[in-house]
Amino acid sequence: MKSPFRRIVHALASLRLAVLIIVALAIVAAIGTITEARYNDSEMATQLVYQSPWMYGILGLLILNLIAVMVDRWPWKQHHTGFVMAHIGIISLLLGAWVTKEYGVDGSIAFEIGESRRIITIKDRGFMVFASLNNGNLRTLHEGPADFIRHPPTEKKPYVVPLGSSVLKVTDFYPFAFRESEILNTDSQTDGPAVRFQIENPHVNLTQWIRFEKGKVGSELDLGPAKVVFAHDKAPEPSGRNEIIVVNHENSDKLDYFIYSKEKQLRKKGQIRQSETIETGWMGLKFRLLRYLPHAIENIRYTAATYATPMTTSAILVQFADKKYWVGLDSPFTLRDGEFSYIIVYGHRQISLPFALHLLKFNMGKYQGTQRASSYESEVDVPGRGRVVISMNEPLKEGGFTFYQSSFEQNERGEPTISVLSVNRDPGRWIKYFGSLLIVLGAVILFYFKRVKWIQTQKRSPA
Amino acid sequence: MMIFQQLGLALVLSASCAFASVGDVLDRIPIQDGGRIKPFGTFAQESLQLIYGKRVYENKPASEIIFTWVLIPEHWAQEPIIELRHKGLKEALKITSDDRYYSPQSLFANPRLQLIVQELQSVHGKGEKLNPYFQAVQRLENQLSLFQGIRTGQSLRLVPNPSSSAWKSATELDNDMRDAFARIGKGFAESIANGGTEVTPDLKEAVDAFIAKAQAQAPDRYADMGKIDWELHLNRMHPFRWAWVAYLAGLIFLFAGTMISTKWMDRLSWLSLWAGFGLHLYGMSLRMYLAGRPPVSNMYETVVWVPFGAVLFSLILYFFQKNRLLVACSSAVAIFCLILSDLSPTVLDSSIQPLEPVLRSTFWLSTHVLIIAISYAAFFLAFAIGDLVLFYYLRGEEKYAEQIRAGVQSIYRAIQIGVVLLAFGIILGGVWADYSWGRFWGWDPKETWALIALLGYLALLHGRLVGWVKNFQLAVGAVVAFSLVIMAWYGVNMLLGAGLHTYGFGAGGVEYVATFVVAHILYVTYVSALRYPIGKNRT
Repeated sequence: MKSPFRRIVHALASLRLAVLIIVALAIVAAIGTITEARYNDSEMATQLVYQSPWMYGILGLLILNLIAVMVDRWPWKQHHTGFVMAHIGIISLLLGAWVTKEYGVDGSIAFEIGESRRIITIKDRGFMVFASLNNGNLRTLHEGPADFIRHPPTEKKPYVVPLGSSVLKVTDFYPFAFRESEILNTDSQTDGPAVRFQIENPHVNLTQWIRFEKGKVGSELDLGPAKVVFAHDKAPEPSGRNEIIVVNHENSDKLDYFIYSKEKQLRKKGQIRQSETIETGWMGLKFRLLRYLPHAIENIRYTAATYATPMTTSAILVQFADKKYWVGLDSPFTLRDGEFSYIIVYGHRQISLPFALHLLKFNMGKYQGTQRASSYESEVDVPGRGRVVISMNEPLKEGGFTFYQSSFEQNERGEPTISVLSVNRDPGRWIKYFGSLLIVLGAVILFYFKRVKWIQTQKRSPA
Repeated sequence: MMIFQQLGLALVLSASCAFASVGDVLDRIPIQDGGRIKPFGTFAQESLQLIYGKRVYENKPASEIIFTWVLIPEHWAQEPIIELRHKGLKEALKITSDDRYYSPQSLFANPRLQLIVQELQSVHGKGEKLNPYFQAVQRLENQLSLFQGIRTGQSLRLVPNPSSSAWKSATELDNDMRDAFARIGKGFAESIANGGTEVTPDLKEAVDAFIAKAQAQAPDRYADMGKIDWELHLNRMHPFRWAWVAYLAGLIFLFAGTMISTKWMDRLSWLSLWAGFGLHLYGMSLRMYLAGRPPVSNMYETVVWVPFGAVLFSLILYFFQKNRLLVACSSAVAIFCLILSDLSPTVLDSSIQPLEPVLRSTFWLSTHVLIIAISYAAFFLAFAIGDLVLFYYLRGEEKYAEQIRAGVQSIYRAIQIGVVLLAFGIILGGVWADYSWGRFWGWDPKETWALIALLGYLALLHGRLVGWVKNFQLAVGAVVAFSLVIMAWYGVNMLLGAGLHTYGFGAGGVEYVATFVVAHILYVTYVSALRYPIGKNRT
């Protein structure tokens, strides 16, 4: 009697299948949380589990099952109200989530106080190659998505970009890697100088390199209470911090040093050579010059880590013309090939907003008598609207995007310097809200009808 | 409300006057600590808890002890008061003895301490999570710096500052305030010399004068003395302890009633239950009033809130089903949770801490957590009934058929309530997250495990419709599926230390919780193994 369609629908509508789907969904979700804990990274869990074919397969089957069971119960009766509502609700929720994922934007914007920005960074990663032209401009040679977490490139299955007559290959990928910089001595006159120094007292013991490129005036290192400046030929003006200024000169192994107090008073000056020590005069700190390299380069190395920490990043191995280079996430790499020069970027993709936001001020409230933040908010200038405050739970809506206060960064003195907003556009929002409403109402009605039925059976059966 | 408050206060005050000891008088001095204003009594208890691991020292109240640290610091530097138990840390410090307590002096003099603390700083610098060893180092550092802060007076922020929100510490006082503080010291010393129990009028006066003078410095920034007194009342009364005692009494009367069936036993049982419920509610209300937020922002608060929900649901279900077992099971849950919250202050920190900025908001945040936690209460109730029903199976399926039938029906109802509430709570959480962070669902471990728990119970309910889950399986399922709730409620924070909900984190206790879960799984396996040889077709 039953048509094949009805039979297929009936099979798909099986409650047994529903139970299996529910259990499978729970198992996959549990694996996702374990994956996240294992790598200490939510992106890993998202890529490997929550957006895996497994997950999509189970969710697809769930939707089929939900639709089939509604078709199978057709024509609906009054007591089906709750069940139909809850099931349509779940389908809407999943549909809304899919619309959000496909057509929505989920990114972030980080700007310093006083800065204006219109570029937002999203989670997707891309691979780009630019040619650096003689006039200083860049020409895009390649731009494409780089889904290396799910499909890591290997020696055998590299990610290939044709570049003129030869090819550029990505042959290895570290999802998590420590970025280590080493300073190497060279003979090349075109490389800038570097010093390695140690600052020490009974409470502090710090060893650091400081280096700058040839042609620059110098470079500085902020160590919180004090600052170390390394400059070429001429000492810069004191900046009003406790600071040690070291100055090198062409063709001399002696360096001049100047020690300034917060009040910009010169406390001490003289000359220093490699492996000599000077007393700074504050807090019993000694300054020791460990190395001085007149010409040095900075070499970046990446070593693989097994899980994410705030110190790790991702890195890829790029092969070009028989040479290999490690390139870190979001750190553009310049590759020289004879007279050509390419810039390789493996990074988060960026989207340009139709307008720019200007961060005017960042306010932070603290719990009384502590350094613990109790609230924070950004004051931004919105084109055509003027000053708007974005705080926790008080987002800004503008041009189809919503801006939420997400986090901030502080300097050593605990002053906020950078505000981070998350930015999103979510065309699936109202579908999800509609689904949510249906689920809740459906569940309540379902519950109510069960109760009525239960009371009726209680009344009928003489207990 | 005001009248009630003042009446209550008057009662509290008269009670405390009658038994006033030296510690009681000192307790009342307001102090700014940890981002809020609290009574010195609370500060002293929390400090002693951190440093010594207990809230009393040799039967003396914390405030007396802490105050003597200020008066005679040299003496206390020599006393073994710093609790140090971590074996690895002791090895690193080259301490060979098996003692539990060490003197601050000996630790400060330890040549390796500085190095170890520097290692801790470098781990902090790398932004990595602390392993148990570094947690122990962190605690030791906190203990020593707090001891130092108290003995020098730097941690004693007793006087509000008209020009800053940070109060002045005992080291920054002007002459007038310093004299007022010294007067307390003098009065205290005299009282202690008197034997320590009699409060000299001088001390009482000195404390009152100090409070009045401190208040005069910056009246708007000073403590609300009414709140201070209520907090002291909460500290002294231990309403949750009395609540579990009352629940226990109710349970005992209930069992006694099954043996000697009299009306009186029944009445006493109900009376005790309602007394427990009232005390439970009273304690939670006080805490909410003091903290100014709903009682679900850390593990301790949920461990108190969930059994409240369990008792509430059992009373509601009792109204429909007239099954006393429900009430017995919820009482057992409440007794278990409340004892737990009282026993393990290091795992379940009962101190009232300020909230992270993201949590300092809206109605919706509190609502979604309250609802999810209360759904766990329904599942906890189902779990306890499941345990009992399995026990009836063990004792004889035919003999206890009626109890099993009623029990399973209650389990089914409790799970249904839980499922509806949990689904509602998860959705509300999504709406709240969307409103304040711009994402509805982010696969955060806490929300994912709440979903997994929901799916687990949904599987049970649907499985019952299919016929896979019959009475016995439902009892087993109620016990086993509660492991998912434990994971969502506790395990995510302790085992999977990741995600946005990390603010609810505590530490430790994993071994006890794991034992609890494993013991129940063994119990279920044992009962199933005994049952299944009998025949698979029974329901």
